[in-house]
Amino acid sequence: MSGSALMSGAPSTGRYANLGTGASLIPFDIGHDDYVALSDPDSAFWALVRKDKLADTLTDSALMSNYQAKAKDFARELHALRFELKPSAVYVNPTERCNLNCTYCYIPEGMRRGGQHMDADRLVEALGRLRSYFSTVLPDGRKPRVIFHGAEPLMNRAALFAAIDAFRDDYVFGVQTNATLLDDEAIGFLADRQVSIGLSLDGPLAETTDATRLTFGGKSVHDKVLRAMEALRGYSAWSVIATCTEKNLDQLVPLVELFHAREVPTCMLNAVRCTLPGARTVRPDDAALARAFIAAVERTHALYRETGRKMVVANFANILLAILAPTARRLMCDISPCGGGRAFFALAPDGGLFPCSEFIGLDAFRGGNLFTDRIEDVLESEAFRKVTGRNVDRIDPCKGCAIRHFCGSPCPAEAHEMNGGMDRVGAFCGFYEEQTRYAFRLIADGKANDFLWDGWDAEEGGVESSFDFVLP
Amino acid sequence: MPSTDIKQEFAQNAVPAAASGASVASRPAIIATRKRCEADGVGLSHYVLMDRREKR
Ligand code: SF4
Ligand code: SF4
Repeated sequence: MSGSALMSGAPSTGRYANLGTGASLIPFDIGHDDYVALSDPDSAFWALVRKDKLADTLTDSALMSNYQAKAKDFARELHALRFELKPSAVYVNPTERCNLNCTYCYIPEGMRRGGQHMDADRLVEALGRLRSYFSTVLPDGRKPRVIFHGAEPLMNRAALFAAIDAFRDDYVFGVQTNATLLDDEAIGFLADRQVSIGLSLDGPLAETTDATRLTFGGKSVHDKVLRAMEALRGYSAWSVIATCTEKNLDQLVPLVELFHAREVPTCMLNAVRCTLPGARTVRPDDAALARAFIAAVERTHALYRETGRKMVVANFANILLAILAPTARRLMCDISPCGGGRAFFALAPDGGLFPCSEFIGLDAFRGGNLFTDRIEDVLESEAFRKVTGRNVDRIDPCKGCAIRHFCGSPCPAEAHEMNGGMDRVGAFCGFYEEQTRYAFRLIADGKANDFLWDGWDAEEGGVESSFDFVLP
Repeated sequence: MPSTDIKQEFAQNAVPAAASGASVASRPAIIATRKRCEADGVGLSHYVLMDRREKR
């Protein structure tokens, strides 16, 4: 930890940046004509400094003394976010089966072809057990989240809908689906109960989507997804995920145009997770991914300016939030330890508990069984600790990286399976560098709010300012 | 691993001061802000829970 406030009694005066107990402020280039960034990675504090003012700022400046007064609070806030959260959500896989055979799926093919379903009684029993657990860790009035996830949850539709009805008042529900079984009746059921719905589509044209997302029989699902999107138009709680691979980088701009035209409220442009070998066959190069990704995000901004209608790219918004308000982030991949096994965990159809859905195909990460073990014990199991103990502060080269708490070096599943261990870097270091530098450029130009959900920082939503230093 | 080339290439995405209508000297010397709230993020790369404001 840095900052004289944390080290009172130490012989250092704490007056000088980067000396003794003084603030540790690392300068780094953000690719902006006028600004460079400074960051204290231990507290995720940052400042953008005009290039002609850098020397003054690092000398005895008002910024330094203002930060010194806050350093301890910021370090404590970040520590709480990284190490003290209790689970508030569970990703429930009600079936192992899926009707698609996507190249990059993290569920092994054998499970998806012939795996087991959880029957309705068992699923209801599972949600009952989970409710009892959450009542011991969540404050009164805060509902836990259940996200039905895959494989394809709608392959087990009757059980899914029975469980949602049985626990309507107890959980906030979400469903992530490939949308091929999302007919009007299913949409009506889910929308009536205000279930948040996530779909997947990888390209603006069938030929691009078909490069990674097909049925086991090789049939295209592109048009079915478009039909479901059309039926969802006007519903506020839906989103679309595009998985970015080397197959669709050149289509990301027309893809966000399609999303925007179809009034998608929020989308994600996720770098493919390289956990299983199949996914690595379509892994994009970091620099090419960053170029295509930033172009697509810029296009969403141009569309916002043209039409007045904003479509948030949630995973990029999350990087901005990690910088502007670390505790306001919605996604828990870009922080280390990540959310897996501590902010949430995953339930497999056989009752198996895993730190995150990403680990469901990896038996070494099974921490116990919901029907026979206590959740408290599972959270402390060796399997879970492997994930929750992965710490960016101990990974090379992340431990010296100025943006490590805006990146988190995700994902532990990829680090373990692709890079050889939990102490290894994540799959897309170069991409994270570019995303973060781009985010800082937008902040320097006063544009960040254009990329974030309206009202994200509203006081009535419980968001308050903890540092506001703008030197003319 | 990232290379210097990538950094230089992406520096071209920089927005020059002129684009925002400000000369360098008229832009703030330092910008540093931070906000806080109660943490409750639960999304991951496979899913983001959306705000649920209106009914269909
Ligand atoms: S980083 Fe990986 S393991 Fe962690 S929450 Fe994200 S997908 Fe899950
Ligand atoms: S993965 Fe790269 S950008 Fe992310 S923390 Fe590590 S070194 Fe930094």
